[in-house]
Amino acid sequence: MTEAINSTSATTGETVSSETQCAAAEELASKASRPQWLRLMSFFFVLAVIAVVLNWLFNFGLRRIKTSEFGASNLIISGQVNAQIVINGSSRALVHYDPRIIGRITGESTYNLGRNAAQTDMQLAFLKTYLRHNVKPLRILQNLDPYSFVLTREVYDPAQYLPYLNEPTLYEPLRKINPAAWKWKYIPLYGYAVEDMNFTWIKALKGVVGLNPREDYFLGYNPRDLQWTGDFERFQAQHTNGVRLNVESEGVQLLVELVETCQNDGIQVILVLSPEYIGSQTMSRNREEVVGRFQKIAEQFRTPFWDYSQSDICRNQSLFYNSQHMNRAGAELFSAEIARRLAALPDRRVSADSGEKAPLTPQKVVP
Amino acid sequence: MLFNSLSFAVFFPLVAALYFSLPHRHRVPMLLVASCVFYMAFIPIYILILFITIGIDYVAGIYIEKCQGAARKNWLIMSIISTCAVLFVFKYFDFFTGNFTGLANLAGWHLAKPVLHIILPIGLSFHTFQSLSYVVEVYYGRFKAEKNLAVYATYVMFFPQLVAGPIERPQNLLHQFYERHDFDYERITAGLKRIAWGLFKKLVVADRLALYVNDVYLAPRSYNGLQLSIATFFFAYQIYCDFSGYSDIALGAAQVLGFKLMENFKTPYYSQSISEFWHRWHISLSTWFRDYLYLPLGGSRVSFLVWCGNILATFAVSGLWHGANWTYVVWGLLNGFYILCGRVTQSARSRLFRAVGLPEENRGRTGLRIGTTFLLTCVGWVVFRARSLGDAGYVLTHFWRHWDFGSIKTEQFLLRQMPVAVGAILFLETVQLLSARVHWGRLARQVQLLPRWAAYSSFVFLVILFGVFRSTQFIYFQF
Repeated sequence: MTEAINSTSATTGETVSSETQCAAAEELASKASRPQWLRLMSFFFVLAVIAVVLNWLFNFGLRRIKTSEFGASNLIISGQVNAQIVINGSSRALVHYDPRIIGRITGESTYNLGRNAAQTDMQLAFLKTYLRHNVKPLRILQNLDPYSFVLTREVYDPAQYLPYLNEPTLYEPLRKINPAAWKWKYIPLYGYAVEDMNFTWIKALKGVVGLNPREDYFLGYNPRDLQWTGDFERFQAQHTNGVRLNVESEGVQLLVELVETCQNDGIQVILVLSPEYIGSQTMSRNREEVVGRFQKIAEQFRTPFWDYSQSDICRNQSLFYNSQHMNRAGAELFSAEIARRLAALPDRRVSADSGEKAPLTPQKVVP
Repeated sequence: MLFNSLSFAVFFPLVAALYFSLPHRHRVPMLLVASCVFYMAFIPIYILILFITIGIDYVAGIYIEKCQGAARKNWLIMSIISTCAVLFVFKYFDFFTGNFTGLANLAGWHLAKPVLHIILPIGLSFHTFQSLSYVVEVYYGRFKAEKNLAVYATYVMFFPQLVAGPIERPQNLLHQFYERHDFDYERITAGLKRIAWGLFKKLVVADRLALYVNDVYLAPRSYNGLQLSIATFFFAYQIYCDFSGYSDIALGAAQVLGFKLMENFKTPYYSQSISEFWHRWHISLSTWFRDYLYLPLGGSRVSFLVWCGNILATFAVSGLWHGANWTYVVWGLLNGFYILCGRVTQSARSRLFRAVGLPEENRGRTGLRIGTTFLLTCVGWVVFRARSLGDAGYVLTHFWRHWDFGSIKTEQFLLRQMPVAVGAILFLETVQLLSARVHWGRLARQVQLLPRWAAYSSFVFLVILFGVFRSTQFIYFQF
């Protein structure tokens, strides 16, 4: 056994244990592998640098875009909107309000901040971001939905936020919805690779070389040239007992906070429940509760609440492409109607500080 | 912890760095700890199941070797029963009780169906089979029982192959834990390249095709024949790339650490018969069933009828291994039926080919055989993927109906995804075809460092930017 474990050095005649031999061999192997380790680490370092550069390039490209959704976001972030009337809300705001019609009839510049699949939490985030970079508007038309009191469960189309994650008014709400959103900001390419399913990075590369997508946003408004899809009938068939609209207390608080935020800045808020197809209204078992809450908030803050649930538009299926969204024809009709109503408003706003009525003059927001 | 996750991207380099930094005697314990961490990332408490089965089989192996006569057999039976019991309880209990109560209800006995509602431990089917092969090999004297518990535990739990194989044999893997694996740049980079290729298959091909397949197979009656056909074709590539991609990552990760695992796939869709297909698809599982079920039943050294029974039984059990659903059993039986038909019609087909002027080495004949085999496997995949036999029947009878080229997309898979999906499949096939003629490693060594690194970087970012990260665990994880 002893002979097996030990060996004798040929030069010095000393007995060397196998443990010592192992340790020596390991040290030799370790020294020999050091340049190879470095080579491997260098390759991964190069990959990391490329990732950082690509991420910066994609963000840069998207922020150069002048048209469509990113074009609208870039205008807002760069403080080039400064409209007198701002429309805020979800996809229903995005497709229901044509600022060109409203601006023409009221004589006041108008912009639409509506966002697809944005619940009240993200609507507030967008509004705060707008107010951070642009002159305070005179009025905000806050579009309401039957599901305005439901919080966002999953961020829709995360890629739309990727170039703007340095905006705290956007980043913090995103993190609240998705705690892992820090990865979008701090891990290069994470947002574009993991979260985005639409190859937005290709759009970004086109933006770098000055190629803009086809314009489909008009002062933030995105018209839909669609006919009735039949989705509602399929939905109805699956929900023969109707649906119950969720009312989350945090959702109610967020709408209150939205109104307060505007009023504290001296901005008039008008709550608008834009048209919804009548068939869908009758399916909602607790619609009165939801509308009642809207009315209560309006009364609490002495703000107008314009409920278009009983408008003739709601009974005309040809003006909708699904139960929640009007097509272009419906939006034009509704925009004209709401513009005339806006034009008929008394020409005043309430100052948040003194309660005195002040003339309507846009005031620049100091960041 | 999924291979295509950020956690694994942090975990694996740390483990590899630690592995090569530690003295050899500490490496196996470190791998064991790392494998425990890897497994506990799923459902931590389930590690106890693994520990119990490891403990039972470790002890059984030692006593099988020590004892003589009936005692040896008893230890083997005890080990097999306890391992299979774990598999039965977690995987098959609801299936069998459901079928039993269904039959009882048909007979007029109204029994309440007992339901366990427990989540299947990840990789259960794989590591139980690996453990079973160990005790059987020890019993037959083909392998000496492992005395070192840490080494045996690491053999069962080795994280690259723990959750979805390959199902290793002790003769191949166990001795490797005693070998010293030094940092070898060529070996490590080869392993990393294999991982990258596996990620391409999984993220760019499999997970992108899954967007289409999942939509269609969730509600096949909502889609036209063209969409059903596309979904089935896509599923053939999805399951191949998902599973072989996982195997590539597993083999690559093991290779980085100095371990050699068995190959699990050999371009199965180039097979010229179903029999050949099963020599190229999930090789570790098919050889397991061959060695531990088919051959003990007599294999092909029995009468023709008994041989037919052996084939069908083996494939039925293989189907059931994949999942507790009649669709898997039918899929298994279908493959068995293909093999029987292939054998029975072999001489007639040869005569037919010769009669039409397509001799053995003729490319047309080869192409026809490959195409037919692929179509037959696709029919099998319909049954495999469908949520029920009813859905499978619907898809199979509606492939050719109501083709509408204006209606190809699905809810999750918009038309813009199609070029990427098709392009990825074409890229995959091109590389696989070229691999028969090109030795990629040798080719890479002939290229200068800068263009070589540029090519590697481009491939990595191609995977990152075209990959789908959101979906999905590997299909075979659920088995």
